[in-house]
Amino acid sequence: MAIPIAESLKLGLSDIMMRKVRSVVTVIGIILGVMCIMVVLAIVNGMNKSTISWMEERGGLNKIEVEQNWQYDFSKGGDPSFTLKEIRYLQSLIPEAEAFNPTVQEWEAVINKDDIRYSTSLRGVMPDFVKVEQWNIDKGRFIKDLDIDLYSNVIVLGSTVAKEFFGNNDPLGQTISVGNQQFIIVGVMEKRFMQTQGGQIGMGDNALEYMNRRCFIPISTMISKVNPGGKISSLDIRAKSPEAAKELRRKVENIVLNLKNGKRLFQVTSAKEQLDTMQANVKVMEAIFFLIAVISLLVGGIVIMNIMLASIRERTREIGVRIAVGARRRDIFIQFLVQTILITALGGVLGILLGFAILKQVGNYLQIEVVASVQMIWVSLLVSIGVGLIFGVVPAVRAARLDPVVALREE
Amino acid sequence: MDIIRTENIVKDYILGKIKVRALNGIDLQIQKSEFVAIMGPSGSGKSTLMHIIGCLDRATEGTYYLDDVLVSKMPQSSLAAIRNRKIGFVFQSFNLLPHLNILKNVELPLMYGGLSHRKRLARAKEVLQSVGLGDRLKHKPGELSGGERQRVAIARAIVNDPSILLADEPTGNLDSQSGGDILEIFKDLHSQGNTVIMVTHDQAIASRAQRIIKIIDGKIVDGNSDS
Ligand SMILES: Nc1ncnc2c1ncn2[C@@H]1O[C@H](COP(=O)(O)OP(=O)(O)OP(=O)(O)O)[C@@H](O)[C@H]1O
Ligand SMILES: [Mg+2]
Repeated sequence: MAIPIAESLKLGLSDIMMRKVRSVVTVIGIILGVMCIMVVLAIVNGMNKSTISWMEERGGLNKIEVEQNWQYDFSKGGDPSFTLKEIRYLQSLIPEAEAFNPTVQEWEAVINKDDIRYSTSLRGVMPDFVKVEQWNIDKGRFIKDLDIDLYSNVIVLGSTVAKEFFGNNDPLGQTISVGNQQFIIVGVMEKRFMQTQGGQIGMGDNALEYMNRRCFIPISTMISKVNPGGKISSLDIRAKSPEAAKELRRKVENIVLNLKNGKRLFQVTSAKEQLDTMQANVKVMEAIFFLIAVISLLVGGIVIMNIMLASIRERTREIGVRIAVGARRRDIFIQFLVQTILITALGGVLGILLGFAILKQVGNYLQIEVVASVQMIWVSLLVSIGVGLIFGVVPAVRAARLDPVVALREE
Repeated sequence: MDIIRTENIVKDYILGKIKVRALNGIDLQIQKSEFVAIMGPSGSGKSTLMHIIGCLDRATEGTYYLDDVLVSKMPQSSLAAIRNRKIGFVFQSFNLLPHLNILKNVELPLMYGGLSHRKRLARAKEVLQSVGLGDRLKHKPGELSGGERQRVAIARAIVNDPSILLADEPTGNLDSQSGGDILEIFKDLHSQGNTVIMVTHDQAIASRAQRIIKIIDGKIVDGNSDS
């Protein structure tokens, strides 16, 4: 009958308490390794969380964006914009798209009513805008197809704009002027909110507040009345699924290239593919940190193994005595294995505590979001126990194999 | 009844290419409740014989019956159980664990015997009281005199109520006063019916035993029950 694990634990604990300083020194490698694991997992958690939530806030993974290609050399000629006719043509070629919205931007439009003036980014869009951006209307309605066809003077306000002009009063049906045009307010957009991450300074606590300051009118009205000669410089498309978005992106890219005579005036990106690239980058980071963690744990494990071997040499006589009074080889083996595991687990716990302590600093220093999770604790603890298990075997076997007669003779 | 019976025990130590024959055909019988002293010159094989009797070591050749059980062929793990239940060892250099208090030292065999914590405590206290150390339970071995340490070692040896007490020069590191005290304890244990085998260099101490066995060069030359 083996001595119970509880006895071995007690024995190991009292040994560790007796040799506090040595135990802590022994375990520095483990502490570093575990801290490394904690930081890696927190960074990876944070990156995944922030990229995904950023993507979702911007219309999700189904979204494809057609934008001016900033890398294009415009000395080769070409106009990075679409006509409404080109847009209609493009749309007819991709019936599989779920939603389709070109945008004409007016960056510095001035809206006024009575004596309130407000400078805003005004956008001429189509009804599909709400689908592409996954952004719902809060009050009233959004722009309709009829508004486009009739060049209506209707406007939808961002929530902040609505507040600026009307406070808590109902803005629907009120008129407001943009330049010399009068518009009827038909809707107010839902407020967008995303917590600002540490490190991004001067943004307030809502990273999406800029969206709440925008206003929307029919694209036809924009081009004909508000900003004559305004150009369609960006186009957003929503595919049926993230996977379909990859496919559709390639198709749209070819169509646009053909439309523009082979000139790469536009770049076509899909959120899903961007996310994939980002996640691939995260994977690389992960691998690098993982390697660092593995190396420090290996070094830590080897250090522990050697210290345990030395300690067993020192304790030869003790082992001999234990065998003489009836300890079996298995008991000795378990005693030393449990002790090594206890030491590495102790290092693991210290590493977890220190890891938590430095997480915020690391996040601030690297200007990225770090996200702690319970999973980190388990992974770290398991890893440190695993290191003890692996590197404790050799010393424990060595101890269990001692010849008691020789061990007792030892001076 | 013989509690110990050996036939032609041989023990060789191999040191590189040299073979050292520490025991050279030991035929030994010891009866239950006997008090035997073993004497002999240094290097004659006394400790080696004690280790084999105590199941700490195995003979190279020969058979050994302990309590009519053939132990010379037993597997390691059964030998551990025998050491734990049937053998009590007392060494010249005490061999207490220095970082444990004497209560814990005495509890050690009971722990490997699988006794519950509470029973261990009670039994260890009782035995330490019987050797006169009941008020020193929390002391570490380093805080005790040599004679007291040897009394702790005896308490540890008898705590499991073994069949045989083996003592290898138990008074060798003690002055004659505390050596005498230790001998008295062994005499008491013997009078309570315990089997005691004691190695000693001291003729006066050996003469207190019922029988003296003399070993020279790994052979019994005098004192075996048959001779
Ligand atoms: N582990 C070993 N390896 C090699 N030789 C050994 C070993 N143990 C004992 N011997 C040899 O066996 C012989 C008997 O040794 P043992 O220790 O039994 O003698 P002893 O009678 O107890 O002597 P002492 O009175 O000095 O204690 C000696 O020659 C010794 O050198
Ligand atoms: Mg000897």
